[in-house]
Formats: sequence, structure tokens, C-alpha cells
Amino acid sequence: MIIVRFVYSLCVAGLLLATAPFAAAQGTQKNGETYTPGQKIKVDFKGFASEFLATHCVDCHGETDPEGGLSLHDLGPVDEVNAGVWRSVWAQVTLKEMPPQDMDQPGVIERLKFSDWVVGRLSHVMRDKGGFQALVDPNKGNFVDHELLFGQLPSNIVLKPTSSPARIWRLTPQEHITRLNELINTEAKYDPAKPGLRTHGDAVPTNHGGELKLYFGTDRIIQWQGGTVAYATAVKSVPAILSSARKHGLENYPEFYTVNSAEATQIMDVADDLLEYMAYGPLSIANPEQITDDPKTYKIEGDIRGLPTAIVYNTKVVRPLTPVYELMKDKGVDEQKLRAAVDYMFQAMTYRPPSKSESERYLEIAQQTIDKLGKEEGVMLGLSAIFLDRDALFRSELATSGKPDEHGRVMLKDWELGLAVNHALSYIQPDEQLQQAIQDGRMRTKEDVYREVKRMLEDPSIRKPRVTRFFRDYFDYDLGGYICKDAKALAATGASTRGTAHYRAMFDATASTDRLIELILSEDKDVLRQLLTTDKVVATRSDNVYFGRKNTNEERARSLAEAKVRAEEASKEARAQLETLEKEFAELEAQVKAEPDNKQLKKSLDRQKKTVANAKKKVNDAKNRANSNANHNVTQAKLNGPKIHARVSRRSFGTGSMKPDRVLATAPEGQRLGLLTHPSWLVSHSDAMDNHAILRGRWIRERLLGGGIPDVPITVDAMLPDEPQNTLRERMRVTRESYCWTCHRKMDPLGLPFEMYNHAGIFRTTELDQPVDTSGEIIDSGDPELDGKVSNAIELIEKLAASERAEQVFVRHAFRFWMGRNETLNDAPVLQDAHRAYRESGGSMNALLLSLLTSDAFLYRTRSEALLAGP
Amino acid sequence: MLNRRKMLQAVAGGAGAALGLPAASQTAQGAIASSGGPKRIIFFMQNQGFDPATCIPKSMTGSGSLANKTLPEPISPLEKYKERLHIINGLHGMHTTPSHSAFFGALGGYRGGDGVPPSAATIDYQLSKVLPETMLPHLCIGMDSIENMTSKPTIANLSASGAGQPIFMHSNPNHLYQMLYGGISSGDIRRQHEARSNVLNQIEQLAAAKGNSLPKSDGQRYGQYVQGFRDANGLRDRLDSVSDHLREFAPKVDERYTNPEFETDWHDCLLDLGISSITSGITNTLTIGSGRGEIFGAWKGLDIDQQGHNLGHMKQPDNPIWIKIRQYNSRMLVRIMEALDSVPEGSGSMMDNTLIVYTSNNADKQHTSGNNWPVMLLGNCGGIFKSGCFTQVEGKRPINSLYATLLNVAGQNVDRFNMSDQMAKKFDDSTGPLKEILA
Repeated sequence: MIIVRFVYSLCVAGLLLATAPFAAAQGTQKNGETYTPGQKIKVDFKGFASEFLATHCVDCHGETDPEGGLSLHDLGPVDEVNAGVWRSVWAQVTLKEMPPQDMDQPGVIERLKFSDWVVGRLSHVMRDKGGFQALVDPNKGNFVDHELLFGQLPSNIVLKPTSSPARIWRLTPQEHITRLNELINTEAKYDPAKPGLRTHGDAVPTNHGGELKLYFGTDRIIQWQGGTVAYATAVKSVPAILSSARKHGLENYPEFYTVNSAEATQIMDVADDLLEYMAYGPLSIANPEQITDDPKTYKIEGDIRGLPTAIVYNTKVVRPLTPVYELMKDKGVDEQKLRAAVDYMFQAMTYRPPSKSESERYLEIAQQTIDKLGKEEGVMLGLSAIFLDRDALFRSELATSGKPDEHGRVMLKDWELGLAVNHALSYIQPDEQLQQAIQDGRMRTKEDVYREVKRMLEDPSIRKPRVTRFFRDYFDYDLGGYICKDAKALAATGASTRGTAHYRAMFDATASTDRLIELILSEDKDVLRQLLTTDKVVATRSDNVYFGRKNTNEERARSLAEAKVRAEEASKEARAQLETLEKEFAELEAQVKAEPDNKQLKKSLDRQKKTVANAKKKVNDAKNRANSNANHNVTQAKLNGPKIHARVSRRSFGTGSMKPDRVLATAPEGQRLGLLTHPSWLVSHSDAMDNHAILRGRWIRERLLGGGIPDVPITVDAMLPDEPQNTLRERMRVTRESYCWTCHRKMDPLGLPFEMYNHAGIFRTTELDQPVDTSGEIIDSGDPELDGKVSNAIELIEKLAASERAEQVFVRHAFRFWMGRNETLNDAPVLQDAHRAYRESGGSMNALLLSLLTSDAFLYRTRSEALLAGP
Repeated sequence: MLNRRKMLQAVAGGAGAALGLPAASQTAQGAIASSGGPKRIIFFMQNQGFDPATCIPKSMTGSGSLANKTLPEPISPLEKYKERLHIINGLHGMHTTPSHSAFFGALGGYRGGDGVPPSAATIDYQLSKVLPETMLPHLCIGMDSIENMTSKPTIANLSASGAGQPIFMHSNPNHLYQMLYGGISSGDIRRQHEARSNVLNQIEQLAAAKGNSLPKSDGQRYGQYVQGFRDANGLRDRLDSVSDHLREFAPKVDERYTNPEFETDWHDCLLDLGISSITSGITNTLTIGSGRGEIFGAWKGLDIDQQGHNLGHMKQPDNPIWIKIRQYNSRMLVRIMEALDSVPEGSGSMMDNTLIVYTSNNADKQHTSGNNWPVMLLGNCGGIFKSGCFTQVEGKRPINSLYATLLNVAGQNVDRFNMSDQMAKKFDDSTGPLKEILA
């Protein structure tokens, strides 16, 4: 749950660095020395940092009446006690927040050197306490100066050829479950006629409730007893085992995760379920009589809703038939088949063939367990060991076999390079062509990578869930269904509060936005600008409300009155019709009495009786309509257009499961502009009670303007006042206090223009019965042409979408996602190349990806032997 | 779940201490008696709601003693233990949106529902971390129809160690027995235990071998993975090393395990295993999910032909079917208490330092808004909790406040549990522990 707190506030106030001139001019270094960013600073506190503090900080942060109550005059060398203060100093100086802009500034190199020195010392001091994590936090990637990355560097800054560290990279929960899904489910082949339907290679999506689960045999279920919940309970599923702490931002850097022992234990248990299903299909989870094409033959006695025995499976085998099936279908243990099963499972789990020793070792384990337990149990237990191989859970990019170049970098090659390329786009095994290229020794050069990446990008049948994941991580539009809404506050937005309707709508909205992004990517022109400014909407029926307009009180009253009139008219008409019919009936009845033997008349009377009953029902219906709970709070949008599809979960909730059907519509004119105005993004950046203007503003600041927000001081835990009579903007007055405003000015004025939508993402013109204030401002963006006031979110977005800086910041985020690390100044050439490729191609994501994935940062790994773990 | 490094380090000092062997437990118990905190806790979550009319004596008009009251028929087996009983009415869980079941929200105190992943750790897990450490910090068992327990022997609906981190319930007593007592088992279970141990040992070796020559930072991260296997294998070795002690507590494997006539046979076996995990000192927290947090479940062994959702649609008060289920629950609670009473600890028994929390994962009834969430506590943990009484909670207090109370008595100074100040404004009239239930 997201909490409205202006916790991003006080970050700066404490540090008002000061005034005295500093010797080094911009971009110069004493004695003509050169400087390489990140180089080890072999100077001590006294000779360097204390001088920096004395020159730039202590005038204001001195002993007497220090600014913000922070004294730095006696700040000594970095140690565990003062590490927090040094972190703040580092953040302020690195972000160029300090010294204040109207004061003399340290030179470029001096600032870099100081920043690197603090990082070095903090890393050393904090090494036993989790280390200094700022450099591996993607939200701090923007701490690297944007102007230095994309502008001209001072001549005495010498960059070193870039590379990424050798590393292992744990799979994400979604990657892992998609990998497991390949073992038991056959996903549909790509159909160019229905490109939006979920297909082989797409990620396993979350289900109707937002849970990531692996489902067994749902494609064979033809009948079940009971309703939606009964189905959900009866069907076999297992939840994702690996965990992810992600809320906002990039999900998975290599440094983030390991696999804990609870997860490992559970993986082993799930492995058994999977292997059983691979061998026996639904028979592993159902009785033989449940497997029939004629459900009538399966006699269900009594109420067994919710039981696995309440399900009927058809007889068509649709799961992949693998060597595990071949091994188990006959009696006895055929060693060749066992070896084939071991090798198959190894490749299925690690995406590469086993080495001879790996194959032998796992074969030996399987043989031992078979000897101990017999074939049926032994095979399952023995093969389950493979699910816990390092390479089944971690992707390795260790570059152990290559020869380092003069900079100590080793280029990935063969399987490591092939799998890195594959993983850049895909969650499933490399396709045959890529596997062949690896085996033929054609994955060793930059050109090889270019060839394969280009081929994969151009082939829509090769699904690219990693690209979808990037856009989810970048935009954060997939969180709306997880924001717990207060029922009363939700009702006030005009959205439905019936059951889980809102949450379901939000999970649908996530899938819809995925699809809209795919459509824009398929055009591959001016991608970022399109994402920010498209007027297209991929919509379900419930989006007519979410993309609608919140009625004013007058409109609501009018809507209610009109509905009443309509109902009365309908009722009147129905009553009139009933009267006529009743009259006819009476006449007919009289005739029947007169001619009791006339069978024809009697039949007519019976028919007329039914007609009268129907007419009575119509009268009642008309009355009920008058009392119906039609949504008078919202003027619904009319989202119509061609039918398309979105990628949704397998049937997880019976007939109430997510449906893929969508329309491609145009958003109401003047009310929406691009993804940031879609409910999926807006609700993802809201909280239980209201909009989250701070979070929205922070998103714009970080993801489009490239600004950095320092950590909130731990002493800050302020709340917006609870004043239902006041608007969010009014309640946010507390963030404008000088102590808070230094940081909040970077966020709040960028988030408040989105007040044109309520916290369900519905467009509004009034708030608390007054015209809604949607004004905002871009302050200190780094591009003076961008700075200035805006009247609403649409104007804000139009400005940002036209900005080259926003494009560059987008490229920076793509770099982080695909390299799995924050950029450094040494990556400037890679970023500039990538941006150039994007721009010169007319905004092609494919061109951007080709550039990034053939860059040194992607291809090379550095293995510093000094950093190697001991035996 | 089996292994926490820190915990095992504590165990390394002597298996007896970790397992609560009498000699060691004397000291530990003494400490508990003086600090007055619980040493272990058991959550019993019956599905389909817990109607207050089935537990509050009819003549109770407000908070007061149960001494001169007769417990309602559904919980009559608790009559002779009513001095230990505290019936609490009036908490709410509206924010957990229970409807059919709040799932993780019941023990988490946050929005739950079918298919809704946990958004934070649940109270049972949090307590398992702060109660005196044991080998296995948290055990969850789930009781359901035999078909469900067979086809889905583990399931995660109620407990979580964090956001998106469900904890699985064990529902096949054969598997659970192997996990807990494989080292002292015989026959098939023994063979399975040995085979699994062998595989896990080899996985550890393979994992360790693949950790050599990793870059330093990755080596540390990967090392945690390898350590997980070392811990699991180490725990098994340690369990084996105290097998004589475990034999005293381990239930006997009989026909009910391998050839159950009704699902209630397995329910009973699972309860035996759960009780033994507490009495033997293997775990400090036990979560029992009767109905496994869902809206189904079966009790054919009690002569109840109906199963599943129909049970939920029935009104519970004066309903012979629900009387049978609730009495069965109550007999289970009695079995737990009697077992813990029989194990000396300090100057008393284990039960003196144990709290049992009985409630439903679905508030008061099926299709509930969660505006009333009855709870029964059993045990007073050395007098910390009031007992022998009924409390009608005044004002609007969420189940989170009960959980915060439990954390407080376990030594955690918290005002709230899984509830932000903003949420509290809406859902909690007060802050801090529920003073009404503390002595």
C-alpha cells in the first residue's frame, strides 16, 4: 500500500553549502592531471575532503547557527557513526544541489573526485553492514550528471573503455514461472491474424487477482462443478516461488536477489509436481474417469464443488511430450532414456546442454534415487535436483574462458553470449537458429550479436517479454490492482465498488496498456513520443467508465432526473401495453367461456396468458430500472473501434477469468494524452484515498527529466493533514515549507497537473464542487526551454514529449534495464551512440536496442582477480 | 522454512537447548516466567467464518467472567478449560475485504482475496521471528478434503514471510512426518527420507562447486544459496542427532497415514504432527488452517455429507453440522492443551507459556463484510492475558490491533501491525495493544 507522505521532503534543507571560491576552474585540474571517473582516489581526508568541506560548506554549516541545524565544521573522516551525514553530503554534492546555484561552484573534476572519494570511503566503512548501496540502486542512476553524459566532457577527463562486471543474475519470479510453464503447458503458436493473443514465448501473466501462478492442465478442462471460486479452488496451481521486492522502478539488477533456502525447498517440491505432470498429464492430478471427452460418462455424486475431482479433462494430449514422458511410459528403466531425460531436463532448466560431467552427475543422482525408491518415485526425486542447479536459477555471465584485453575486459562468447542475447528479449530457450549459431561458433563477435538481435527483433513470432517488462518497469503502470482503495473514497470517484470489480479492472488495464505499447512498438516510429502522446486506448467495457468524465453535481442530478423520466416513460408505455393485452385477454376469456369446446380458442387463451405475464414483467422491469444503480457519477466514454486482444492469464477463475477481448479506441478528445493519462498509470501512482501527486511528480522528474531525489532523512515522517474538506493541493501546502520545498519543488509541481483526474483515473473538471486546479510548473529541468508553467497535464506532457532531454533520459533507463546496472560517466559513449541510433532512426526502439546490445557495456565483462572470492 | 542461519547458530551450542530438552528448558522457562512473554503460539484458522453466537454464552450481556456461564454447545468441549479461555468479540477486519475469505489478509491484516498475493508478512511469521528461537521457526498445516490434500499437498493461502512471499501449508501427513521425523522413521518413509537426504547432500555439493571462482560480490550472494542447503542438511543432521528426544514426542505412524478412511483421519494425523512439533521444541509457531483458508473443506469423518461451499451458506448457530465442526475444532484445541500440559517447563508446563489463537480466516460468516471478527484465546502466558472471560471490544479496533498486542507481549514495542497511520485513521479508533485483553 502506498502511503501519502511527503517523505521526500526534507532531504536538502540541512545542507546549505557555501561560498568561498575554489581554486579549480570548471573542467580543469591542477597540474594538468587527467581524471578517469570511478578511479581510486588515493588521498586522505585531511589532504582533500576536509579542504573541500572547508572551502564549500563550513561557511554556512559552521559551528554557530548552522543552516538547517547541520554543522560540518567538525565532520571527520568517514566512519560508521557519521556515515549517514556523509551519505547526505555525497548526495547533495553529486546532484549539484550544493553548493547552492548562486554560490561559486567546485570544478567538474573536483566535484567528481570528491564524490568518488566519498563513495570509496563509504563502501569501505560499510562493507560489513550491507555496503554502500546507492550505486546499485536504479533510482539513483540519475545521480550521474546528465550534461556530462550527453554533452562535451572537459578535455582532461579521460574515460576508460566500458564493460559490465562478471556476474550471476537470478531469474525474476516471472521468468522462472515462464520457464517452468514450458515444461507442462503448450502455448499457442503465434497467429499473425491475432497478434495480441497470448502465445508461445509470452510471459506467464498474473491471474484475475494479480497473483503470479502456474496452472496445470487448464487447457484440457471441459467441465467443472460449481462457479468461479469452486473452479479456482479445484484447479491445480502453484504460486511463484522466487520473490521480488519490487514496487516502483527497475525490478531486477543482478545484485538484488539470491534464492533462499525456503524457496529452494519449495522448488524441489514443485519440481516433483511438474515432473509427474510431464510424465502422466492430468492423470497426475485426477482420477482416470475424470478424463473423458464425454463428461456425461463421469458421474458426479453429490456436491463436490472445489474438489479436484469436480473437474473433467478431455482426452487430447496437449502438454509437451518430452523424454520424461518417454522414460515413464514403459516399465523398467532404460538407461538411454534416463540419460535423455536428464539431459532434456538440464537444458530445459538452464537453457544450455549439460557438460559431460554435469550429465554424468545428474544421471548418477537419478540412478541412486531409483535404486532406493524404485522407478516411479526415484525418477521424480532424482530429476528434481536439476531444478536447483545454479544455472537453473541464476544466469551466469562470468566470461571465464576468454582472454582479457588491455583493459582487463573479456568479451562474452558462445553459450554465455548467446544466452545473454536471448535473455535480452526472451524468457524461453533460444530458438533453433540461435542455438545453432552458438554451437557453430557464430556467437563470438559484435557482428554475430547484431545479426541475431536484428533477426529476433524483426520476427514478431519471437516473443519479447523482456521488452514488455522494461516498459512496465519504466512506466510503472502495472501496480494499480495492488493499490488497496478505501471503499468510500473509491465510490466517490465514480468507479465501481462492487466486489473486486475495480481491482479486476486494473489488472485488465495493465494487460491493455501492455498491448497498446506493443502496438506502438510494432510501428517502431518515434516510440517515446508516441507513448507519451498517443490518443489510442486499448479498452475493455469497464474502461468506458475509467476513461469517462466525472459528472459535476449538476450533471449528476440531471442524469438522475433523466433516468427517472426515461424509466417513467418506459413504465407508462409498458403499462399501456399491459392494459391492452389484459383487455384482449378478458375478451378471449369470455369467448372461451362461451365456447368451452373450442380447442383453438383455448390455445389462443393460453398464448395470451403468457403474453400478459411477459407484459407484467416488463412493467416491473421498467420500475426496477428507475431504481437501478446506473452510474450517474460518470459520463461514460464511448470507446469503440476494431476488435483486438490483450495477453491475459490462463483460465484461473472459471467463467470469471480474465478475457483477452479488447477494442482499439480513441480517447475522448482533450481529456487524455498518452500513457501518463491512462487509468493504469494514474491509479498505479495513487493511494487508498486520493491521488499521489508527489509520486507522479517524482516519476516525471526521474524518468523524463533525469533528475535525482536524495533519500529522505530518517527523521522525516510527516503526513499530509487529514482534511476531507480540502483538496490534495491544499493539503500539500505542508510540503511547501522551506524545509521541505527544496526537494518537493522538484516533484509536486510536476504531479499536480494530473489533478485533472481523480484517483481512479477518471477525468474531472471539478474537485469538491469547485473547478479543479490543474496548474503546475517545470522547475530546474536542466533544459531552460522546458522550464515554465503549465496549465494541466496535457500541456506538461506535450512539452516533455518534444524534449530531447526526455529522450536521453529514456535511453538511460533502457541502458540500466538491459545492462543490469547504473550507468557511469565511462558509459557516456554507449549512451550517446544509443541515443543517436534512436534519433537517426526516427525514434526506433529496435535501433536503440541494437545499439545497446552491441555495445561494449553489454558484450564485455570485467573480472578483476583481486575481487575474486577465495576458495 | 527449515533453516535460518542465525537460528542454527544458536542451535550449534547444543541441540538440547534448541529442542527444549528438559534440562535446558528449565533455564529458558525461568526467563520466560520472569519476563512473562509467550514462548510459543498457535493459530487455528477455521474457514467459513466464526459466528459469535456459537461461542458467546447466551446469557452474556457484556464483557465479564465466564465462571458462572455455560459455554455454547459448539464449543462445549472447552467447558472444563474455560478458565483459560478468553472470548473476544467486536474486532473488525473490514479492510481485509474477507467476503468469502480474506486469505493472506486474515493473518496479515491487509486487503486479501482469491488470487490476491500477500502484501506483507503475516503475524504468525512475524511472531516466529521474535519468539524464543527453535529449529523450525514456523510450521503451517492445512486440513481439507482428502482429494485436495492429495492432489495439492502443499498450498499457500494464509501465511507469508513478506510481500509476494507465501508460506506453504503442509497437508500430506506422510510428507510432513518425513520432514520432521525422517531420521527416526522406518519403512517407506525412512527410505524416502534417506533418498531425499542423499539428493539434498549432492545438490549442496554441486551448488558449492559452482560457487567457486565467482566474483566476490556474487560469491557472497550465491553463498547464501549454498548456505541454504547446508542449513537444510545441517538441520536434518541435528534432528537425527536428537532422535532419542524426538522419539518421545513423534506420533506413531499408523494406517490413518497410509490408508485414511476419511479426511478427518489425516486432519488428526496433521494435528498430532503439529502438536509434536511444539512439544518436542522443533517449532515455536504453528498455524493450522482448517479448510486451508479457502471456502471449501470436508469433514465426512464427522458424518457430515455436505462439503465445501454449502457449509458456508448455512447459518452456523444451532446448526447440527456446524456444531459438529466446531466441536471437532474444540476437541483439537483440547488435545493441544492437554499435550502441552503434559510437558513440564519451568515450574509449570509448556501450556503456561503458550497462547492459542482460534478464529476464522473469514471473520464471522461467509459473505461477510468483516465488521465483526470473533476470536478465542486459550492460555494466559503466566498471567499476561486475561482469561476465563468474555470481552466485547469497545470502539472500532481492527484485528491488526490484536496482532500488535501479540507482538508487544512478545517483546516488540509496536503500536500497529501492517497498518499505516492513514489507514488507522479510518479503521482504528485507538493505538497500541488491546488493553482489554491484557491482565
